[in-house]
Amino acid sequence: TATAVRTCGFSFSGRYIMYTTDKTMGRPCEIHIFDLNDIRNGEPTMVIPISSSKITSAVWGPYEEYIITGHENGEICHYDLKSGDKINSCKEHSKQINDLQLSKDMSMLISASKDTTAKLFETATLGHMKTYKTERPVNSASLSPIYDHVVLGGGQEAMDVTTTSTKVGKFDARFYHLVFEEEFGRVKGHFGPINSTAFHPDGKSYSSGGEDGYVRVHYFDPSYFDFRFEF
Amino acid sequence: NIFSDFDKYEKIPEEWEPPKPKPYHDVGNLRYFLQEPDCYDQFSVIYDGGDRTAIFKNTAREPVLIEERARWTETYIRWSPQGTYLATFHAKGIALWGGEKFEQIMRFSHPGVQLIDFSPCERYMVTFSPILSTQEDQQQIIIWDIRTGMKKRGFHCETQSTWPILKWSNDGSYFGRITPDTLSVYETPSMGLLEKKSLKITGLRDFSWSPSDNIIAYWVPEQQNVPARVTLIQMPSRQELCIKNLFNVADCKMHWQKNGDYLCVKVDRYSKAKKIDEKDQFKYSGLYYNFELFRIREKQIPVDKVEVKENVIAFAWEPVGSRFAFIHGESPRISVSFYQIRPGKVETIKTLERKQANHLFWSPAGQFIVLAGLRNMNGVLEFVDASDVTVMAQTEHFMATDVEWDSTGRYVVSAVSWWGHKVDNGYWIWSFQGRLLQKIQLERFCQLLWRPRPPSLLSIEQMRAIKKNMKKYTEQFEVMDRLRQSNVSTEILEKRSEMMNEYKSFRERATEEWESMKYRRLELRDGVDTDTLEYEENDEEIVEFLLKVEEVVVEE
Repeated sequence: TATAVRTCGFSFSGRYIMYTTDKTMGRPCEIHIFDLNDIRNGEPTMVIPISSSKITSAVWGPYEEYIITGHENGEICHYDLKSGDKINSCKEHSKQINDLQLSKDMSMLISASKDTTAKLFETATLGHMKTYKTERPVNSASLSPIYDHVVLGGGQEAMDVTTTSTKVGKFDARFYHLVFEEEFGRVKGHFGPINSTAFHPDGKSYSSGGEDGYVRVHYFDPSYFDFRFEF
Repeated sequence: NIFSDFDKYEKIPEEWEPPKPKPYHDVGNLRYFLQEPDCYDQFSVIYDGGDRTAIFKNTAREPVLIEERARWTETYIRWSPQGTYLATFHAKGIALWGGEKFEQIMRFSHPGVQLIDFSPCERYMVTFSPILSTQEDQQQIIIWDIRTGMKKRGFHCETQSTWPILKWSNDGSYFGRITPDTLSVYETPSMGLLEKKSLKITGLRDFSWSPSDNIIAYWVPEQQNVPARVTLIQMPSRQELCIKNLFNVADCKMHWQKNGDYLCVKVDRYSKAKKIDEKDQFKYSGLYYNFELFRIREKQIPVDKVEVKENVIAFAWEPVGSRFAFIHGESPRISVSFYQIRPGKVETIKTLERKQANHLFWSPAGQFIVLAGLRNMNGVLEFVDASDVTVMAQTEHFMATDVEWDSTGRYVVSAVSWWGHKVDNGYWIWSFQGRLLQKIQLERFCQLLWRPRPPSLLSIEQMRAIKKNMKKYTEQFEVMDRLRQSNVSTEILEKRSEMMNEYKSFRERATEEWESMKYRRLELRDGVDTDTLEYEENDEEIVEFLLKVEEVVVEE
């Protein structure tokens, strides 16, 4: 590709792939979609140019009907696959979206943003449901497949300001209750900001990858499974 | 007189109309905040880089917002010394706000105002603006009467010295200012020079009022053969109460104890002085330090001397009591020493060594002190009980720029101001023992100021009686606390069950949708049902294979 690729992903069926390119060197930001069954001399099946704020994160919508994109200005949009039009959008975040992830049944979308919050949306309507607040930019957020839990990973970028407290292993992954928006746990261990988090599909463990170059795989203690919020 | 005065005086009408009385503007109960039933103090917060100013109540779980306005002030804000008014700065002047709804009480027009000061009794306010304009004869320093809003007197100021230039006596009956070689004392409300004449003191460097009596302390550096001296004089009689001569003085700094019981003068002494060029400028070297402690309440004001080997970084009196503490030394060997003044001598209580501190903050109620290493010392905080000089807690608020005690001495706030540090702005609330109570983060938080309280109206006997009967009162408080806790938990539980119910209905819809779309999922993945993907347990397969052949010969 001519410019850097920001995100990429397989569609639900695995028949399509999409990737987004950066807005640099005079080229606009674009979504490229390939039909793997029908590759004609390396040309994408569909290219959707993005004229507004560039895309910083993107995932496939459920059932391959649209692509969900997160932008540098905090907007989240739906782009229709067939027509390439923007069919929905919302601007709940004030700074760039660092990560978008879907829930296991694809009904909910969680966005992680540089504005120090992560927000939960209804995938189909982009209706804002919940907000999870922290003090640092959130680089990644994931939804547990089996519980109402959310994990957030983030941290101050080294290039922004180098005065975060230099206590060892201070960067942590934070667990919030999905419905109550309250933090109930933190896992320390990373030496640098966490850039990506993901729950294992069975919900019994999660992994986090960080700026420090480590990928940490954590298996939950029995107490995690017994933990209950009172309500 | 200005030219326009001619017109003004020509046009005086023949008939004189008596001025109409202005209707009384009732500002309401300005001290309503003292009647807060749970005794929560208020504090002001500027955040969003200065755009938003808010007043909060320091409630138990998190601060409750009382009032918030955007662009309330253009630069920063100040509380009046007894907490009655909130002053905001604007290009055109100052506005004072107060009362339950923070209505505007008074406006003062002084274009370009930069600094303000209040008289301790809150009757007068002084404003300073560096702009000199010939229109309307504007002066740089103006004294206002707060209740009427009238300009009482103005001054020009020739030199930009330290603010406040006009220093008030504690009851507001006098104020003074220094001009080269002169100390001018004025009396209120006439604003005229006391006895129509100033005090001529050659070489006068600095003066200060006692916080409780009408006594002025001033010092004069040494000139030719006359040693330096510190003098205390009584106002208005101008009687000299005490004079102390000091030798080899490079500089002096005066610190009054809050009750006016003691005055400490920190004296920088030199062992060698070299005159540079023809002017009376000296270069001092080989500096050493000592404190001269004046016992104001004792007859003839005896003076004690305490010598300090090292450079003194900070000094502070305990606000109620007779202790003081100071930080001395050079990084990294910095120590904090505590002294007690007893009848007859000044004794060291204890010295804490190897501390990271550059500021001292005593609790307004005394006994407790916070040693803080602010700004470049990364925000190290130590909470010390001065009665036995033990460290109660050692904590840190990374990159803290300010520390503020509330006026009752129960809470301490450490803050990271956006004006000093661009990230992590917010404030943390601690108990007086150093236990962290709350952490509040605010976007581009700039300044937090506690609302001061007027001095207590209780007499000493009444306060002693309350302390004796403390057990009775604590029972009542415990009951109230328990009630509040249970209220809070039921509130939380209710809120949570509401949220959960909402969420459950959403999940029901989502599950329905999921079920209905099953066909699509099968379609997309070629008929393979991937909804329940689990690890396949190892299928057991029974495989038979030949182990061995054994030939047994049966009967022949």
